[in-house]
Amino acid sequence: MAMKNVKNANFLQIDHEVQKISKVKGAEILTSPEAYQKIPWTRKFFLEKPNEGYFIWVKKQVDLPLLTCFSLNTYKTQQNLENLLVIEKGLKIKSNVICNALKENLCASHKAKGKIVLKEGARLKYSHFHWWGSKEIIESDYEFYLGPNSQLVYNYKNTHSSKNLFFRTYIEAEKKSDLNLNINLLGKNTKARFEEVLKLKGEDSRGIIRLRLVADKKSEIEGMSKIFALNKSIGHLDCQGLLINKDSKISLIPNLVCENKKAQLTHEASIGKVSEEELTYLRTRGLTEKQAIDLIVSGFLMKWT
Amino acid sequence: MLLEIKNLKVKFGDKEILKGVNFNIKPKEKVVLLGPNGSGKTVLAQVIAGNRKYKINQGKIVFSHKDISNLSPEKITKMGISLAWQAPPKIPGVKFQDFLSKISKSKIINDIENFDLKISSILENELNTNISGGEKKISELLQAIVLKPKLAIFDEIDSGLDMKNLKRVCQLIEKELLKKGAATLFITHNGHILNYFKPDKTLVMVDGKIICQSKNYQQILKTIKKYGYEKCKKCQFSSNRP
Repeated sequence: MAMKNVKNANFLQIDHEVQKISKVKGAEILTSPEAYQKIPWTRKFFLEKPNEGYFIWVKKQVDLPLLTCFSLNTYKTQQNLENLLVIEKGLKIKSNVICNALKENLCASHKAKGKIVLKEGARLKYSHFHWWGSKEIIESDYEFYLGPNSQLVYNYKNTHSSKNLFFRTYIEAEKKSDLNLNINLLGKNTKARFEEVLKLKGEDSRGIIRLRLVADKKSEIEGMSKIFALNKSIGHLDCQGLLINKDSKISLIPNLVCENKKAQLTHEASIGKVSEEELTYLRTRGLTEKQAIDLIVSGFLMKWT
Repeated sequence: MLLEIKNLKVKFGDKEILKGVNFNIKPKEKVVLLGPNGSGKTVLAQVIAGNRKYKINQGKIVFSHKDISNLSPEKITKMGISLAWQAPPKIPGVKFQDFLSKISKSKIINDIENFDLKISSILENELNTNISGGEKKISELLQAIVLKPKLAIFDEIDSGLDMKNLKRVCQLIEKELLKKGAATLFITHNGHILNYFKPDKTLVMVDGKIICQSKNYQQILKTIKKYGYEKCKKCQFSSNRP
């Protein structure tokens, strides 16, 4: 299976064992249980002592991307992670997260809760990759707190989805903060549900959420995205689904709630099937039907990442 | 014979579009197909290329001595037929440069840059997306070239291109296709392409039929310009009807 555990990870955990924590100048990296014990202020984020997960506190500029990796490798393992990433004021950071199964048919589960805090003026490019076997159960529940003038680009990509996927993302945006959230899923025999909630709390905050969901081989995918405008702000939802076969289903429910007359909220949503004309066109270039569908799907998913 | 179209009748839904089309193309031959809008030229090109949205009711298409009437588009392409589409669809998210490499049998980009076609915006953009009508024509030509066809079909390559770019496009067709031994079928309703190529054979299609074919393209053009396609049916070349 591709994307096996990554050797240059700053934090690497397989099943429940932390394999590696590397030292990074400018950042403190611990397991989340250790952080809960050693760093009292983390308790307001963890609420209670976590069992496993990472804690990364970026205090000074780190130029290389921080890489964290969680893998499943043992039959019926149940990971239950709580992660915390805090980025101090004005820093510009890249973080890559890889969560994967190292074998097929593990029937395991990966539950990850996380909080990511961007302090004033911080910028984070957060790239999150999922690569699972067909029998895993996956739950991802992340909260992002965007301080004033901060900026988050969050790209989630899952081209090897699990049997069940629940993916929740909550974002609170303070004054003049900026969010760009892109979610890409290729579902095959997948039952998936995405819930995104963006709260535009601060004046002149802005955010865009883009969903690109592909349903193949008896998949059922739901996308429920919601933007609340509590202040003068701008928000946009862009949800698109692509059905590959007749046995799959996608439902998209964009929801806008405006509590400020100076806010601008917009949305667009569409679900379509692979166009016969596009397929024929690509086949007149020598691609087989399968190659043509793969190319159309990868284009649909690649567009924003 | 490279391509033989034999009594081809094609339907789209309940409507018969091609009503018994007959013509041949020899290896290395330059053929021009003229006809008014809606006469069936594009359907003919699409059917030859394997678009099975159109149903062949009767007749057959033989290419390199093999009946290709029921082959898939990719098999037809691999046998050596390329089609430059009149209105190619957008393929979002697929970068043209990557796509060209994927389908390419050769690397010709550097050579093409010497033709001053200003293709950088085409290469960097997504396939058939955010480019002008003229750039789409150039994109279609580049794809045809990298496929190295034995027969290159151009559906209205001369519409949407200004004269300067049409000249350059024609130079590229000459160098990369004709001099390398490809036969060509140019489909056109305006005939601008004839300013740059002297065809070996000119066909006229009206209402789903080839009503005239001749080596004397100038006389055909003169008749069409003077009397329109309807009069073309009654012109002095009527004895040349296939």
